[in-house]
Amino acid sequence: MRSLSKDLKKLLGSDQVFTSPEDLLAYANDGTFYLKRQIPDAVVLPHAAEDVAKVLRYADQHEIPLTPRGAGTGLAGGCTPVKGGIVLDMKRMNAIREINKDNMTASVQAGVVLGNFQKAVERQGLFYPPDPQSMSVCTLGGNVATRAGGPRGVKYGATGHYVLGVNFVLPDGEIIQSGGKFVKQSVGYDLPHLMTGSEGTLGVITDIDLRLLPYPEDNLTLVVVCETLDQAAALVSAIIARGAVPAMMEYVIKLAVSVMNSQFSFKKPIPETGEAYLLVYLDGSTAQVKKEAEVIREVAMDLKVPDVIVEEDKNAAAQYWTARKNFFPMVMSIFKRAIIEDVTVPRNKIPAFVSAVQNIALARSVTIGQAGHVGDGNLHPTLMQLEINPQTTLQAKETIDDLIRAGLELGGTISGEHGIGIHKQEYLEWELGPGQVELMRRIKKAFDPKGIMNPGKIWTA
Amino acid sequence: MYTLEEYRDVMEKCSQCSFCQATCPVFLATLMESQLARNRLNLIREIFFEKSMKLTDRAREILEHCLLCTNCTQTCASQVPVTDILIAARQEMGTDKGGVRATLMGKVLGKRALPPILGKLGAFAQKIGIGGKEMPRFAEKTFDHDFSGQIAASGVQRAKVAYFVGCGTHFLFPDTGRAVVDVFSKNGIGIDIPEGQVCCGIPLLAEGDLEGAREAVRANVAILDALDVDAIVTDCTSCGMMFKEKAGKCFPQDDPIQEKIGRVAEKMGEATDYLNALGLVVEPEALAARYAYHVPCHRAWAPGVKDAPLALLARVEGLDYVPLDNPEHCCGAAGTFFMQHRETAEKIRSPRLADIRKSDAQMVVTQCPTCRMYLSFRLDDREVLHPLSLLLKSYGADSDFR
Ligand SMILES: Cc1cc2nc3c(=O)[nH]c(=O)nc-3n(C[C@H](O)[C@H](O)[C@H](O)COP(=O)(O)OP(=O)(O)OC[C@H]3O[C@@H](n4cnc5c(N)ncnc54)[C@H](O)[C@@H]3O)c2cc1C
Ligand code: SF4
Ligand code: SF4
Repeated sequence: MRSLSKDLKKLLGSDQVFTSPEDLLAYANDGTFYLKRQIPDAVVLPHAAEDVAKVLRYADQHEIPLTPRGAGTGLAGGCTPVKGGIVLDMKRMNAIREINKDNMTASVQAGVVLGNFQKAVERQGLFYPPDPQSMSVCTLGGNVATRAGGPRGVKYGATGHYVLGVNFVLPDGEIIQSGGKFVKQSVGYDLPHLMTGSEGTLGVITDIDLRLLPYPEDNLTLVVVCETLDQAAALVSAIIARGAVPAMMEYVIKLAVSVMNSQFSFKKPIPETGEAYLLVYLDGSTAQVKKEAEVIREVAMDLKVPDVIVEEDKNAAAQYWTARKNFFPMVMSIFKRAIIEDVTVPRNKIPAFVSAVQNIALARSVTIGQAGHVGDGNLHPTLMQLEINPQTTLQAKETIDDLIRAGLELGGTISGEHGIGIHKQEYLEWELGPGQVELMRRIKKAFDPKGIMNPGKIWTA
Repeated sequence: MYTLEEYRDVMEKCSQCSFCQATCPVFLATLMESQLARNRLNLIREIFFEKSMKLTDRAREILEHCLLCTNCTQTCASQVPVTDILIAARQEMGTDKGGVRATLMGKVLGKRALPPILGKLGAFAQKIGIGGKEMPRFAEKTFDHDFSGQIAASGVQRAKVAYFVGCGTHFLFPDTGRAVVDVFSKNGIGIDIPEGQVCCGIPLLAEGDLEGAREAVRANVAILDALDVDAIVTDCTSCGMMFKEKAGKCFPQDDPIQEKIGRVAEKMGEATDYLNALGLVVEPEALAARYAYHVPCHRAWAPGVKDAPLALLARVEGLDYVPLDNPEHCCGAAGTFFMQHRETAEKIRSPRLADIRKSDAQMVVTQCPTCRMYLSFRLDDREVLHPLSLLLKSYGADSDFR
């Protein structure tokens, strides 16, 4: 593809275009190497929206597939260039343009790393809550494109709840500025939120306006030791029903706790006396935090939950949350393949889903870890396999089918935060029905008539 | 041992999570995923195991465009020993054995005898600059010129240590060696500086010269293991890492030398860490100054490496620690990396320098001699020195080495 390389280098600088297979190999997959790998034909690293427009216009004209890519941490194969073509790596567009304390908004380029952004915001006493656990590397553009969320979803929602404006480039090179630095707008269709979750299939996001909050005054971490998984699930529902809203409420099984205890030198190891655990983080004013801790204690007492540990030592508490963040990659050091599911159910259905998952694991004779953002109904049942072969691959597929069916039966959704990508395509209609999928395809056509934007995603063709 | 085959299984533990993007200095300087630990592993897999790709010049370039800084290994929650895999790959890739670099490393570092002409040449080259380029500047006198053999503890001897003198201290910064000797002996620690020590071997490993590294390990271990001491210390974090974590991997598991290496590794400690654990007995005098700390990348082999300098210097009244925004930001030097990949090294160094310049620290301490050298090239107004040299200043002694 010599002419592609030459053409692109003519459009942008030669240090922005790479076409040797050794470079391209890096862009063959996201976090889901087990779904598919495909080496693209070129990777382009734009510095500005104008660069993006030039490349898009070129790709559109020559009908070359183009896949936007942030950090490549996606868990649905979203930025895997399944049809080859050009990968547009957004990481060099990483300027934080403004953090506006008076307006409580920020404006960033799409390639800004979430963790860097949060640090910058927090230095000014502000708070950007969405916290996908890949925050040390994932990009805000990727977050918006997938509607990423994390443990704080239970109280603060996910990325979509903070998006005010999105600038994006259409395949014909047109730069669209939608939304802006205002907290409400009632003008035409809500394009910022259409781009949110579009998984790179409609256009390339270049700039984002985000809403900020004041940084919470105080916080407190609780470790709740439960007798059974069912008890932990019942407790979550009861806590929510009593009106306490923890900022994070994570569900961890015993196996996970012993792995964490052995891998991280915790200042205070978690007692391995229960079968299931809730890791709870409360934030807000000191009074509110105290009150919510009390509510949780009471609810736990009512349900005869053996132990509620209030961790006053902030350093010890921080270690638990770091361990939680590294949990998934750590599981990979034990298992060959870990497929992290993100079926999400209504929160009053958490206990029912927890038992359903246990039954599926039993029926399929597989190991399913449950360590997820339980507070928002997104349990992340994680299928863990010691071997990768055709038989275990089939087993994985059947298990995921079961999990998705169970989630939908409970009125849930097939993906809470990872998106469809290539991973969930065949389930799309299960949830949305043919009418809604057809409507979405028509929207896609309006944005991208030639179908160059991330083809092969969300639906196969 | 450092053969790729031994890492075949453990390589599969890479979950492709890309978390190494957070700390890989080469990736951060270029923002190219091809320059990330993850892609280096993927390339190794495709070239050496799957054999779907060839060891092309570009592949070599990517695999060599790595500092062996261990940041990826420290970040990787899947515990993939990325740095060891890269070291193994370099042995497989072979090296320019007859080349200038290999000669410099093998002969000079190996024999520890700096041909006088080279010393002069080095100083001269630094003065005029070879094409304006930054080069290591050799001290006029190597460390062994003034220090060798037994140095008694002053007062009651609390412990006796062997001192492994790294090449950085030996050739470039003998003042650090003097600080180790003076501060230790002042604090009741007897020191033995055995003769015959050679380079620890890590630069040779980085060059893909496993045989050279083995020779170095054999020579050093034979000497150090024979000594009757409580501990072995080194002021250099990279030498320490070599003895503690890498030396054993240079030989087959069942090689009889493993026992000796094990004993030496067991006793090996980093100088500030060792001293801090033992505690100071002589209180330092007050010294009014502000200092920042540049944490060397090779810090994971001993848990105390990054806290000990601060703990020791906190004992000096009037000495203020000025935290940098990112104390663990790599400086880009990495042995000879900065001479082989000048542009990348500078890109890595420049935010590190900016971070230091924006602070009001008057001096920067760091244990690693290469970091010290590479930072000093561009920090005219701030002294860069070993933490023990600063401690020695507070004892009222001038650590300048003459
Ligand atoms: C260990 C681990 C833990 C994770 N934990 C969580 C979690 O807790 N919550 C969660 O929600 N996710 C999680 N994820 C998934 C992933 O991190 C998120 O989906 C994240 O938002 C992806 O960001 P990215 O920059 O890596 O995007 P990529 O993976 O590069 O891309 C994701 C999708 O967005 C598109 N895209 C990226 N940038 C743009 C752009 N500028 N314009 C248009 N489209 C674009 C891509 O085409 C692709 O379809 C985790 C992943 C890993 C590996
Ligand atoms: S090397 Fe480690 S941190 Fe990097 S992608 Fe692989 S598993 Fe993740
Ligand atoms: S050793 Fe350092 S430079 Fe090399 S891949 Fe790892 S983090 Fe990057």
